[in-house]
Amino acid sequence: MTSTNNALLFSGHQYLRNRLVLSILSGKPVKIDKIRSGDKNPGLRDYEISLLRLLERITNGTVIEISVTGTALLLKPGIIAGGSITHECPLSRSVGYFLEPVITLAPFAKKPLNLTLKGITTDDHDLSADIIRTVTLPHLQLFGISEGLELRIKKRGSPPLGGGEIQFLCPIIKQVRTLNFVEPGKVKRIRGIAHAVRISPQFSNRMIEASRSILNRFIPDIYLYSDVYKGDDSGKSPGYALSLLAESTTGALYCAEATSKPGTAPEDIALLASRALLTEIRRGGCVDRKHQTLVLLMMVLGSEDVGKCRMGEPTPRTIQFLRDVRDTFGTSFKIVSAESPNPDAVELVYSCYGTGYVNANRSLA
Amino acid sequence: MVQIGIKVLVHVVYVVIGEYTFAVWCKGRKKKEKAKDKEKQHGFNEKAFAPRSGRRAEKQGRRAAERDQTRLHVPLVDRTPDDQPPPVVIAIVGPPGVGKTTLMKSLVRRYTKQTLNDVKGPVTVVSGKKKRITFIECNNDLNSMIDIAKVADLVLLMIDGSYGFEMETFEFLNILQSHGFPKVIGILTHLDLIKKAATLRATKKALKKRFWAEIYQGAKLFYLSGVLNGRYPDTEILNLSRFISVMKFRPLVFRNSHPYLLADRIEDLTPREEIRESKGKCDRTVTIYGYLRGTNLRHGTKVHIPGVGDLDVKTVSMLGDPCPLPDADSEKRRKLSEKKKLLIHAPMSDVGGVVYDKDAVYINVPGSFTRGNAEVPQGEGERMVMDLQDVGSTLEDRMARSQIKLFGSSSKPLEAGPSRLPDDSDDDGSDEDGLDVDDEDSEDGDDEDDEADEDELEFDAADSEAEEEGADQGRSAPRRVLRAQERASNTHQGREIDYADSDSDLGDDPGDEDDLGGGSRRVRFGEEDNEVDVHSDEEDEDAMSDEDVPQWKSDLASKALSAYKQHSRRANRKDWIKLIYSSSLTPQQVLSDTPSKSSKADRDMDDDFFTVKSEAVLGGGDDEDDGDRSKEVLKEEDFKEWEDEELLDSIRGLFITGTAEPAEGEEGYEDQEGGGDFEDLEADGDAAEKTVDPEAARAAELAAKKEALKKKFDEQYDDPEASKMDFYEEKKDEMARQLQINRAEFEDIDPEQRALVEGYRPGTYVRIELANVPCEMIENFDPLYPIVVGGLLPAEERFGFVQVRIKRHRWFTRTLKTNDPLIFSLGWRRFQSIPIYSLDDHSIRMRMLKYTPEHMHCFATFYGPVALPNTGFCAFNSLSNTAPGFRVTATGVVLDIDRSSKIVKKLKLTGTPYKIFKNTAFVKDMFSSALEVAKFEGANIRTVSGIRGQVKKALGKPDGAFRATFEDKVLMSDIIFLRAWYSIQPRKFYNPVTSLLLSEKGEWAGMRLTGQVRREEGLKTPLDANSTYKKVERAPRRFNTLKVPKKLQAALPYASKPKIMKPQSKQTYMQKRAVVMEPEEKKAVALMQQIRALRKDQIARRKEKQEERRAVHRAKVAKEEEKKDGKDKEKRKEYMRVAGMKTKREQENEGGRSGKRRKKED
Repeated sequence: MTSTNNALLFSGHQYLRNRLVLSILSGKPVKIDKIRSGDKNPGLRDYEISLLRLLERITNGTVIEISVTGTALLLKPGIIAGGSITHECPLSRSVGYFLEPVITLAPFAKKPLNLTLKGITTDDHDLSADIIRTVTLPHLQLFGISEGLELRIKKRGSPPLGGGEIQFLCPIIKQVRTLNFVEPGKVKRIRGIAHAVRISPQFSNRMIEASRSILNRFIPDIYLYSDVYKGDDSGKSPGYALSLLAESTTGALYCAEATSKPGTAPEDIALLASRALLTEIRRGGCVDRKHQTLVLLMMVLGSEDVGKCRMGEPTPRTIQFLRDVRDTFGTSFKIVSAESPNPDAVELVYSCYGTGYVNANRSLA
Repeated sequence: MVQIGIKVLVHVVYVVIGEYTFAVWCKGRKKKEKAKDKEKQHGFNEKAFAPRSGRRAEKQGRRAAERDQTRLHVPLVDRTPDDQPPPVVIAIVGPPGVGKTTLMKSLVRRYTKQTLNDVKGPVTVVSGKKKRITFIECNNDLNSMIDIAKVADLVLLMIDGSYGFEMETFEFLNILQSHGFPKVIGILTHLDLIKKAATLRATKKALKKRFWAEIYQGAKLFYLSGVLNGRYPDTEILNLSRFISVMKFRPLVFRNSHPYLLADRIEDLTPREEIRESKGKCDRTVTIYGYLRGTNLRHGTKVHIPGVGDLDVKTVSMLGDPCPLPDADSEKRRKLSEKKKLLIHAPMSDVGGVVYDKDAVYINVPGSFTRGNAEVPQGEGERMVMDLQDVGSTLEDRMARSQIKLFGSSSKPLEAGPSRLPDDSDDDGSDEDGLDVDDEDSEDGDDEDDEADEDELEFDAADSEAEEEGADQGRSAPRRVLRAQERASNTHQGREIDYADSDSDLGDDPGDEDDLGGGSRRVRFGEEDNEVDVHSDEEDEDAMSDEDVPQWKSDLASKALSAYKQHSRRANRKDWIKLIYSSSLTPQQVLSDTPSKSSKADRDMDDDFFTVKSEAVLGGGDDEDDGDRSKEVLKEEDFKEWEDEELLDSIRGLFITGTAEPAEGEEGYEDQEGGGDFEDLEADGDAAEKTVDPEAARAAELAAKKEALKKKFDEQYDDPEASKMDFYEEKKDEMARQLQINRAEFEDIDPEQRALVEGYRPGTYVRIELANVPCEMIENFDPLYPIVVGGLLPAEERFGFVQVRIKRHRWFTRTLKTNDPLIFSLGWRRFQSIPIYSLDDHSIRMRMLKYTPEHMHCFATFYGPVALPNTGFCAFNSLSNTAPGFRVTATGVVLDIDRSSKIVKKLKLTGTPYKIFKNTAFVKDMFSSALEVAKFEGANIRTVSGIRGQVKKALGKPDGAFRATFEDKVLMSDIIFLRAWYSIQPRKFYNPVTSLLLSEKGEWAGMRLTGQVRREEGLKTPLDANSTYKKVERAPRRFNTLKVPKKLQAALPYASKPKIMKPQSKQTYMQKRAVVMEPEEKKAVALMQQIRALRKDQIARRKEKQEERRAVHRAKVAKEEEKKDGKDKEKRKEYMRVAGMKTKREQENEGGRSGKRRKKED
């Protein structure tokens, strides 16, 4: 938290991804110690190592030093290079874990990124490939990153064996547009994707049925797709999931997802997802809880103007993220409560003065 | 009285208006009549300019449109605030002796009615109601010119009219150009030296033409005729000031993205003792004062001072404006009042007898300032100084003699004597066994007071912290009690406990210190803590066992709990900014409504300090892998509530299909939830609102409806094209809107808080404290050299390989060589680095160039600090004033930043065949081992004659020989080569130009060129025998005749058969015949022969004659040439004599700097 000879110092294994991203974007070296030092199995996990590898390949000139015990880490960031990269993700986390930091880095690369990730595409720890494609990427469009932004799910892979593959294409930009998003609007449509791999395709239809039973009362504009992957494209393990998203009149997106668990009926999964979506809608705001950090980061990187966004209560991740942003970029947010239509939802307006971050890596030659 | 007056006035006005209307009416009528009378029209004749044909009309229209487009510029956001803009920087630049100081004095006189005696550093004046100007004079040093070019908004470029342009002027213009061209006004001086009117006119015209060519057609050039009373004529200066005041400034891209400051004043804050101990060689702490410009200066920004280096900003503080704009109520008038005109801020110049130096303020008093000089007016300050001169005894003596009377009436004074000593020593002893805070302090006599002060301070700080945590009720009282107790028992103990307390607080969150900010004392305590805490903890425990748990601590938890409960009542009203940024709570604690955990953690830390902290305390996470997952765990129990139909209905309002007002349902649901009191509050508020303004609401609704209808109507009936803005307008509108938002967002926050959130805005007068400044900057400080403080973007603090597009300047005489050091002025920085030049080779590779091409851009890559792509730069070989010729070596723009470079250089490996089969050859001498060959298997090779081939496989026998195949048979005499590319990296050399650290600012010397080193060391260039050019002896090649075997010849078709014929052996018909001429014929032939002979002879004689004449002419010309040469020599001699005298005079004048140069003596 304090900076000693120019390096940012953090401790603990938590919030690792955000800290690495902030370090790479700001160009300040970061030192993280006490990584699970009190744990029976101390040090970095395999997926964290894998993430560091991935970051090293996306960047040029990055130096990563890990202590012998694996409980301390020093990252001297280079420039974000981009280009065409293939990465094999470990089976302990899904591709969402790796994709989330990459999404924030890729727009500021030297060359457009073409990243292929192999592994698990949907699990219940991280954002699934579906959510990232349908919800996370549209969030980037708020900041002027749209042309050529694409996520292709080539193969699906469920835990535990995975076998999925996605391709992420991201253009580069010069500067992020300033966000001014304070009108949440009203939900105008609900979309969803239900998929079931290596089991009967009937499962996805059952999920759709169950979900509709709840959601139909609110709005007629509901399309839930049954996404079918066959043969080799369906990965190595059976599984199914339902991801839902609600879009408001002003473009605010709320999402929820539930994945299969052994011993639960698809109907229960669908109910879970639908109810989670309703909870999310009730929380209000323009950005849902899963994407708070992404939006806040992009606001910080905006031009030297005031950016505003209305969101719900910050999650613990967001709170720590705000503190880390203050340490890396020196930017603090002004957070005031907004008057919301339903009084139990805490809605806050986050505003900050952008740092005027310009993609210095972009080449003119 | 007054009323009457007004009435009269109104009458008059009425009358006037009446007359006016009458007049207009009359005019109209007259005009009509006139029009009737005469066909001829005056003024603009529409018809005369009407196009004659359709095509011409189209052409005219197109031209008009094009001209319209040239007016447009890319819309740029101007980041300077409108209400309090920083003063405009006007730089006065020109060669020495051109009249810069005179102009400065004249302008300052024009604005402030004050005469400056000694102009040094920037001078800020108020020039209008909303405008201030900072004048700065630029000396003739190239370093200063570069720095000034980066900050000046307007340049007054002074040119000696009697002499013309000088090299420095052009150099400066080139520097300006590469750093974003600010506005330039040319000023011609010394015109009075030209006596003849015609010459004057011609000179003006010629100089103007050249100036226009350099800036743009129609650039403003001013003429100043002569000097009156040491100033330029007032009318001319007035005109110039008018031109300055109407100047509009377009924001420059670089300055619009960087904060910067032109230092008004510099001050050394280093403790004198440290300087004394290190004999003045320690790093200094320096404050720099000035107006912020450019963009907002954020916290944590690094700055670069050109000529010094990158520095860390320790603190920034806003100061009162030393040269404030007239405020609204004092200035109701249109013009600036005379009083305000006197405002001037020039800390380094001699204004009003006060001069600020780096470490002192000098007060100038007229007359000799000694005792007994009665003429000197004696103000308070003067009297004090006089008194000081009177002092006979030292301070120590006086202290010893001093007495204090407690009361005016008391008879015996108190004495500062030995009575205090035992107490003092006691204190010292306890200090040593307890904790060793300030050894130096404890030696002093007045130690205890100090400590007590510190104690108090500590308490205050702790108090304020406690308040910050939110439990602001009832906490301060127990603290006071404690303090009283401890005072009573033992001061020392009290301090211990206090340290312990502060320790735990600090240990929680070191970030706290930052927020508390400036309190340097506070921070120092924090640092000392590390050494202290072990002791203090023990002491702490001791204290607890001895006395009791301090009262305020005993019920800490319960108090915090109650405070928190109050807090959670108003979850919505949480002060999120404070909770997130200035509390030490973990994120989970911030969110959770019950504070039990946090207080528990606190207590944990207090009680068992040495136990290993559990994961939960350390990271705040409950279960292990919770930390980095973005999706929350979905638990079915959490969603049970949705089985309730009412709840489902309650959120219908959030969908477009739902009803507009979902308030009823929601309230019902909330009651069920059971968050009782809080909703009541809200509901009450709602209800109150509803009752208060139903009418207002209705009115608003109606207004909104009307607005919508109006809009609809406008859309339907107005011209759709008229309301639609074009791209340019749209962009401008967007910018204006964003600026509006920027202004509105932070308007209501107090300035300190605002500075935290958005940084210090341009226009504020700030004091920047810089740590670890090299002592030479202070020691060799010269106010004549400008100090620019440029803020760096995060990207610019890093180093890397910078690729630039570069072009050697046309006027620089030599070509540039790869790996020769070059001085760059890029961004704020000036530095020396070693570039490698390259060109893009068919988009395949970046190929190294040994020399820069003539009249063409090429790439250069060097190691240095990163600058954003598209930043312009200029380069120099030498910055010294003695360097001959044009010093701007090259200019260019940054293209790319990387951590590695891809430049390759061509490498040709050659070999010779030693055995040749049909299309296969064995090649030797190309490689030295089989391993090398293995690396190049499959590589393309070629003979000089152009036969292509491939490396196949290494051969055993001679080391490095290989088998190669070719498309044709090669010859033994062929040389075979392999073209390879060898990648090279620029050398990692970065040498900042630290000109401000030198005592002779212009004498900075960086890395020298090899040739320069050799010249200075008197070394010969080493000559490699292999590199010398030798005459190539080439034996003429003999080709064997082509022999086609007879058999083959016979088989060939006729067309391909060689058609070689034997020479004719028999005589031809004509040859065989003898020719006998007729007599006439014979005669004719003979005649012809004679004529030819004659002719030949004639030509020969003519040639001879011509040669003679030519020789004479040549001699004549040579003679003339000789004469001319002599004249030239004379002329040169004369010129050099004058130049020598000039330099001599300059050298003489250098000391006084009053170098007025008169060039036109001859």
